[in-house]
Amino acid sequence: MAAIRVDRLLHQYSDRGRAVTAVDNVSFEVEENQFYTLLGPSGCGKTTTLRCIAGLELPTAGTIELGGTVVVSDRGVVPTHRRDIGMVFQDYAVWPHMSVFDNVAFPLKVGKRLPSSVVKERVHEALALVNMEQYVDRRATQLSGGQQQRLSLARALVRQPKVLLLDEPLSNLDAKLREQMRKELRLIQRRIKVTTIFVTHDQVEALSMSNRIAVMKDGVIIQEGTPRDIYLTPNSEFVAAFIGATNFIRGTVAAAGPISGDYTLDTSVGQLVCRTDQPLVVGEPVTVAVRPEALTLSTDPVPGMNSIEAQVDLGLFVGESVDYHVQMGDLLIRVKGSPRTHFRRHEKVYVGIPPEDCTVIAADEVKGVPTSTVEEGEVDSVGQTV
Amino acid sequence: MSASTAPEIVAPPVRPSAPQRVRRRRRITGRAVLSFLTIIVLLYLVLGPLVMLVLAAFEDTSGGVVIRPPFPWTGANFSHVFANAHTYSVLWSTVIFSAGALVFAFAVSFTFAWLIERTDLPLRTPVYVLLVAPQGIPAVISAISWSLLLNPTNGFVNLVLRGIFGGGGIGSRGPINVYSLPWMILVEGMSLVPLTFLLITASLRGMNAGLEDAARTSGAGFGTIVRRITLPLLRPAIIGALVYEFVTVVEAVDIPLVLGLPGHVTVLSTQIYNSTHPPVGLPDYGASSTFGIFLLALALIPLLFYNKMLGNTGSYVTVTGKSFRPKIQKLGKWKPLAVALTWLYIFVSFVMPLLILIWASIQPYFGTLSRAALKRITFTSYDKTLTSNLFTSALKNTLIVGLASAAMSMVLAMLVSWIIVRSRSRFRWMADVLAFLPHALPGVVIGLAILLIYLLLPLHVYGTIWIIVIAMGTQYVSLGSRLTTGGIAQIQRSLEEAAEASGAKARHVWGRVLVPLLRPVFLNGFLLVFLASIQNLTLPLMLYSTKNLVLSSLIWSRWDYGDATGTAVLSVVMTVITVIAALFLRGLSGRRAGE
Repeated sequence: MAAIRVDRLLHQYSDRGRAVTAVDNVSFEVEENQFYTLLGPSGCGKTTTLRCIAGLELPTAGTIELGGTVVVSDRGVVPTHRRDIGMVFQDYAVWPHMSVFDNVAFPLKVGKRLPSSVVKERVHEALALVNMEQYVDRRATQLSGGQQQRLSLARALVRQPKVLLLDEPLSNLDAKLREQMRKELRLIQRRIKVTTIFVTHDQVEALSMSNRIAVMKDGVIIQEGTPRDIYLTPNSEFVAAFIGATNFIRGTVAAAGPISGDYTLDTSVGQLVCRTDQPLVVGEPVTVAVRPEALTLSTDPVPGMNSIEAQVDLGLFVGESVDYHVQMGDLLIRVKGSPRTHFRRHEKVYVGIPPEDCTVIAADEVKGVPTSTVEEGEVDSVGQTV
Repeated sequence: MSASTAPEIVAPPVRPSAPQRVRRRRRITGRAVLSFLTIIVLLYLVLGPLVMLVLAAFEDTSGGVVIRPPFPWTGANFSHVFANAHTYSVLWSTVIFSAGALVFAFAVSFTFAWLIERTDLPLRTPVYVLLVAPQGIPAVISAISWSLLLNPTNGFVNLVLRGIFGGGGIGSRGPINVYSLPWMILVEGMSLVPLTFLLITASLRGMNAGLEDAARTSGAGFGTIVRRITLPLLRPAIIGALVYEFVTVVEAVDIPLVLGLPGHVTVLSTQIYNSTHPPVGLPDYGASSTFGIFLLALALIPLLFYNKMLGNTGSYVTVTGKSFRPKIQKLGKWKPLAVALTWLYIFVSFVMPLLILIWASIQPYFGTLSRAALKRITFTSYDKTLTSNLFTSALKNTLIVGLASAAMSMVLAMLVSWIIVRSRSRFRWMADVLAFLPHALPGVVIGLAILLIYLLLPLHVYGTIWIIVIAMGTQYVSLGSRLTTGGIAQIQRSLEEAAEASGAKARHVWGRVLVPLLRPVFLNGFLLVFLASIQNLTLPLMLYSTKNLVLSSLIWSRWDYGDATGTAVLSVVMTVITVIAALFLRGLSGRRAGE
């Protein structure tokens, strides 16, 4: 049985008289103890979906079930404070007028009456979980950003909720801390086994932490699957571009074979052999997405794979790799080369494209490819109206 | 300062980060001159009156205040005041009056702020506007209108009540007597609501709604959230507003004069006014200064505890992220009650006083609503009042006082804020204190002290409108600098430095960079001070002469004379003027204040 079930969730609001759909008939299920991520650019409706699950937003239509209890349906809505949830906010929402202890104890004190010894014990347990025991007597305002983050997590977990909701909890941390918290958060989630929904715009967070990912855009789930599915076989240019850097090569299907699953494509940079599970029709326009790290550069053509002549435009040595930008016909292609390679500007090279790494996307999929990087500090423009 | 060079030599040179202070000959820069002049002017304006107040309180003032030796030192003023039982009743009334008015104003303001910001109360925007609107009515006018409504002899409401319950049973007075402490508290409380409400609404709106959401997802219901999250988080804002409004209550003479005098309820401010301007006999500056020192002490008490009251919460600042509209609490079955109470309050606090003023202004003599009274409606009083020389000169004086005080205090405020924000000089703290002190000085005390100064100084200021301008310009430096300090702090220092690096002198930095960038803040503050100073009755009354009548003091003198119709006409005109000024202010500050 699914621990969380969201069915045809619709959230509309009116902005200066205009109806805006923030979440458009979204449905998904999260299995018990899974780490489920809603990933997407700002304004895609991921946070609104999460807030509907928390009860902080009232959906226009749809059903939400938490742990077998229907909390939102046409028949009624369970208010937030009666839902069995814990939530971590992007800005931590640590109460500045309370101490660390009081912050964490709050969910226990406003719920069922518990003896103070139990409260104390549970608060200490929760703080120990996030390595914050030594700060129990501090004022919340004396904590650093990372510590506030941990405190906020302890507060969300202290009630031992069925469902943990994380709203971009890492986006306000600096890069180092974010990496560390990513690991810790996942370990804690595994240890205490709590079904988790995680909202983020950062594909690295999503890929590294999740059991499953739902990529959202304009209020709709575009693709749902395991991190490997999403990364290796994106179903659209949008997903391919949003999850990591991608090169797109457009063309048409010229011929099938010789091996089953192989297709030869006509593209602006010449013929390209691709291997794909999905059947393609000759004459069909398609787009090939290929990751920079799948490509290789060499001074001579490599037999056995697509090898296309190109000219080096720029090589940025970043340590773990060299980020090459090469001109291939009319296309500017990014190649992640080994740090040992050292191709010079204007040098003639061959770009090796392994057929199995070419992901074929039907060309009429999502248009308007966004950049593959998302700026930080995004603001979901939801519910800002009066 | 150069002493720090000595240990530098002995200390191992491992920490070059400590900057070595080298005393070198500094050229006198435009910046330094500007800072110096600002501090000197403020010292004169703020400390001068204080010195006079203390001198007068400890001297035998029967021959006037003496400012050079030999000083006629005496403790008689204090011993007289302490020996008089009346003193203690005045102090007690002051405490009850201010505490009552503050409790009323804050309870009402928080309730409305919460209803508007956090619930589904219908027509929130009009309610907001109507709650803030009475800010445009000077307190003296609202006191007068309440007197017209509720005075025991012919108050409109009293007449109606007597009509309903039969005049015989109740007699020819009452049943309500507005000339009493409870009603004074109520009227004062209502006059405090607009500003208090504005301050609380602003901080409620600025509050990170995520903090309430977090409580909600922790399992707290809305009652718990208000009690344990919202109110505690508002504490700094509430205490700040409380301290501010406390000074407003104790310093003002308007409501205590109009409503307290006939009912023989005296508070400290009216006590000071009475001993400075006795109906008979000579003013007793010694006694009034002594009371002035009492009032000053009273006004300073909350300020001294201000930081303690705020608690150990140095920084209430937390990381803020996305701002979602706070969750709206459905009022459900309480909605009709909330709506009824809201509109009843608006009617009582705003509509009724305005209507009675208009009614009184179109009646040849004041009376209840009747067919005969409707026939008597006439606009001749408007004609008569508005064409009188007294009115035209008071109007002219009011505008001059408003403009000049606004200009004076905003220029000083801008300069002092600039020192507070930018200067690294060791006199910076003085600028801080000097910008803050005028706020802590009750208006009636400033009035008294400035009166004492210019009685003595051989400047031709006493009795002119300029003495009022000096007093108001000084008092409103605090108000202005609250705005300008924030404004300057928002302008990155590098903008000034860039100008300097481009070769700009101090005057260029000001003229080309700071002033243009600060213009919105300056204009906003200018209008705010203008509005406050034309509404101010305390200072014009303390510094009253026949030559420096402004609208507010003219209104009081017509009222004191017993001319209800003339007072009502002037009040309506004055309200129109202040409302126009307030609308300007609102338009200028855009949607920041409202929705």
